[in-house]
Amino acid sequence: MPIEVYRIDDRLVHGQVVVGWGQPLALGFIVLVDDQVAESAWEQDLYRMGVPPEMAVHFESVAGALSRLPAYRLLPDPGLLLAGSTAAMRALVEGDPDIRHVNVGGLHHRAGRSPRLRFVFLDAAEEADLRAMRARGVEVSAQDVPGAVPVPLDDLLTRSGG
Amino acid sequence: MTAAPTLPVGTWLRVFVRLFAVQGSYNYETMIGNGIAFAAEPAFRLLPGGRDGAAYHAAMARHSRYFNAHPYLAALAVGALVRAELDGEAVERVERFRTACCGPLGAAGDRLVWAGWLPFCSALALLAYGLGASAAGVLVTFVGTYNVAHVALRAWGLRAGYREGLKVAVALGSPVLRTGPLHVARALAVVAGAALPLVLLRVRAAHPMSIGVELGLAALLAMALARWQARTDGWRVGVVLLLLFFIYSVVR
Repeated sequence: MPIEVYRIDDRLVHGQVVVGWGQPLALGFIVLVDDQVAESAWEQDLYRMGVPPEMAVHFESVAGALSRLPAYRLLPDPGLLLAGSTAAMRALVEGDPDIRHVNVGGLHHRAGRSPRLRFVFLDAAEEADLRAMRARGVEVSAQDVPGAVPVPLDDLLTRSGG
Repeated sequence: MTAAPTLPVGTWLRVFVRLFAVQGSYNYETMIGNGIAFAAEPAFRLLPGGRDGAAYHAAMARHSRYFNAHPYLAALAVGALVRAELDGEAVERVERFRTACCGPLGAAGDRLVWAGWLPFCSALALLAYGLGASAAGVLVTFVGTYNVAHVALRAWGLRAGYREGLKVAVALGSPVLRTGPLHVARALAVVAGAALPLVLLRVRAAHPMSIGVELGLAALLAMALARWQARTDGWRVGVVLLLLFFIYSVVR
């Protein structure tokens, strides 16, 4: 089965992922890509507790994900790849031509970021990352849950919150 | 980790009561961050220097930042963060923990409460109606059943979070959170299956002529809600429904 969703979300594993996307897509696994979490056993324990027992979580660094994505795509269940930053997803897109869609699911407020949607705040470097992905032919859109209307990148970057 | 320092009973009570206001200053920038700091504040007074100390001010500033989790399971985070601050854990470790626990607490709470317990209690209230309960009986069934678990979850979360500190993954491994949603979903299926025919029978007995019209309207409303639920805010839907209900009650 393919990886159904390539999602950028700074909350990583949380309710919108596990319930919102996990149930309608019948996800069997999540590939969580974060260099720091990939080296932290206690953080992995924490994230593992956020998913139901029947769903697997694979923790990968960006480099590890790039080398093992082809194998994950051969797993029998549908999966979701989760990156905590635009930089990590950009590195994945640049290293794996089979990523054709990127879902911006949640980047929340912090110093330096400007509001674009209620669940998307971006700084200049993050906007550049998203534009770079789109320049490689990847469809980039913001959508928190499956029932919401996706907001295309051009529309997202002209918004100022709300 | 050493044993948790004993908190005065008054501090426990203040923190616990404040947990019910954890969403009081909810906003899209910090989510429930302010609420986390507000709930933990009575315990932070025990830091060296008390309310005027640098440790107190630093902890309040740290925990007022962005935080997003299920509001009931936020109790687990508050307990763990209070324990970490009182134990003098390294700031960087506390902040990484704070970031890492948001998602799992949100996911576990969403599965257990929003996708499990809340629909179960709704179905239970429908069953009470179908079995002939009065309006007050239906209300008490829903509010009472729902809040028994709600309050218990907050109390357990605060206690378990404080006991485990930054090892709160142990508490998140509780069978209630891991396999509880599955059992609640099964119970929901049984209760909803029993409730729906009984509710229809009671509605038909009370309004023999209008059942088709009312069921049709209910079906249309359900389809509209399913279509719009992610495209608008809940309060807007609520206002429109109240307006429609008002118009219906006038022209009926």
